[in-house]
Amino acid sequence: MLRACSLNPLSAFRTCRGIHSTAAKQAIPVQAEPKEKRVARWTPKSIRTGVIARKRGMTAMWDDQGARHPVTVLQLDNCQVTANIKSIRKDNTEYHAVQVAASDKREKNTTAQMMGHFKKANVGPKQIVKEFPVTPDAHVPVGTTLSAIHFVPGQFVDVIANSIGKGFQGGMKRWNFKGLRASHGVSVSHRSSGSMGAHQDPGRIWPGKKMPGRLGGVRITTQNLKVVRVDTALNLVFVKGCVPGVDDAHVMVRDAKKVMVALAQHNHAKALFEKVLPKGVDDLPFPAGTQELAKTLPPVIEAPSTRTSPFLPRE
Amino acid sequence: MSTAAASATPYPFSKIAFVRPASTIDQPILESLQKGKGLMPYLQSALVPSEKQQWIQTLFSKRHPDRLQPGSVVTVTTAHAPNTFSGVVLSIRRRGPDTSFVVRNVVQRTGVEMQFFVNSPHLTNIKVVKKPGDGGGRAGRRTRRAKLFYLRHSPEKMTAIAGGIKA
Repeated sequence: MLRACSLNPLSAFRTCRGIHSTAAKQAIPVQAEPKEKRVARWTPKSIRTGVIARKRGMTAMWDDQGARHPVTVLQLDNCQVTANIKSIRKDNTEYHAVQVAASDKREKNTTAQMMGHFKKANVGPKQIVKEFPVTPDAHVPVGTTLSAIHFVPGQFVDVIANSIGKGFQGGMKRWNFKGLRASHGVSVSHRSSGSMGAHQDPGRIWPGKKMPGRLGGVRITTQNLKVVRVDTALNLVFVKGCVPGVDDAHVMVRDAKKVMVALAQHNHAKALFEKVLPKGVDDLPFPAGTQELAKTLPPVIEAPSTRTSPFLPRE
Repeated sequence: MSTAAASATPYPFSKIAFVRPASTIDQPILESLQKGKGLMPYLQSALVPSEKQQWIQTLFSKRHPDRLQPGSVVTVTTAHAPNTFSGVVLSIRRRGPDTSFVVRNVVQRTGVEMQFFVNSPHLTNIKVVKKPGDGGGRAGRRTRRAKLFYLRHSPEKMTAIAGGIKA
């Protein structure tokens, strides 16, 4: 080590604090690493945004064990993020939401106010604009186009839409009343609701009495539907079961509150880390499944069956 | 690094999910399908595996000369029990991938009907033993109905159609 230093005392003074070992001489100089963007990951406490899709129809699919499942086909129709909302409630808690819009619309049919809103988001005019409450880490950049890859086959979703309107309906259809007999002297009231209350006491009809009225055409949530297949080329999400609404209606699709969000939080708190996500689901695209992500992933993904074959006899 | 990761785990969000290849669609058709135009008719044929396309286009079409007709006698082979089932076709329900048909027979003095779904992986073979209107006499011509549910209440007509066949 002394040999490496020069004999000149001044230079020795200057260089004695330098590193002269062989290891240091052979070491590769450290290059300045570019600041890596921390990739957001899903946590059991996060709530992701939902999407707006269109109900296209129903068909049937057979899983790998040969069991038939009825499925509803939902298609994302240019679903884009238009705003990230953060507001403070009166009790100083924060409300965070992601506002999403879908289905392009003609500019001539859009009001000036909405045009301004869409221009601010750098997005074309849309037919439907809805927001999904999220946790603060799940905000999505404004203008991002969401894709069917947002959902993982095997996960559960809630689907919200307006049910089919049935018009003014009687008690039998609206409230499952039994009606009256078909014969034995019943006159002209076979499907009527019968009596509406007691007599002089209370002498009125209770508020909320079930009576004929308008049925359907209201917001309905169908919960815990399993995602069976995802097709990114056509932006299709196949969910098992029925979904409210007519064909081509707009539906909101989000992670199931009971079977996904709540279970993830509870199982994480109980340290049951294997049960945080449903069987077969390892991770969720976070903060959202975008078109860019869909290009890097396979085009069609299907969920396997997670139960023993129903065709095998039980012991 | 991203390409290595992509080839190592094709779909990182689920290890056990099935990954299927993309089906080739022309660009103008793809654009209209993405808007939803003609999507369900496209899925009617796209969701049927290639082995069953043949059946959908011949046996279960509406105008093919070799189509399955109600009133014909068939033998159906399945992968699960009962492995073979023969009988008279009562009805055909055409729904693309959800196409099904009902076959009726009298087994050990009990009327039995079975509904078979064409797309089911367990359905292996459909053999037409006798076309409607093959034999002369009482069941001479084709049936004048699409759904033959009246056969449930007339065993003599069933015998006229399917009697004496060793299927």
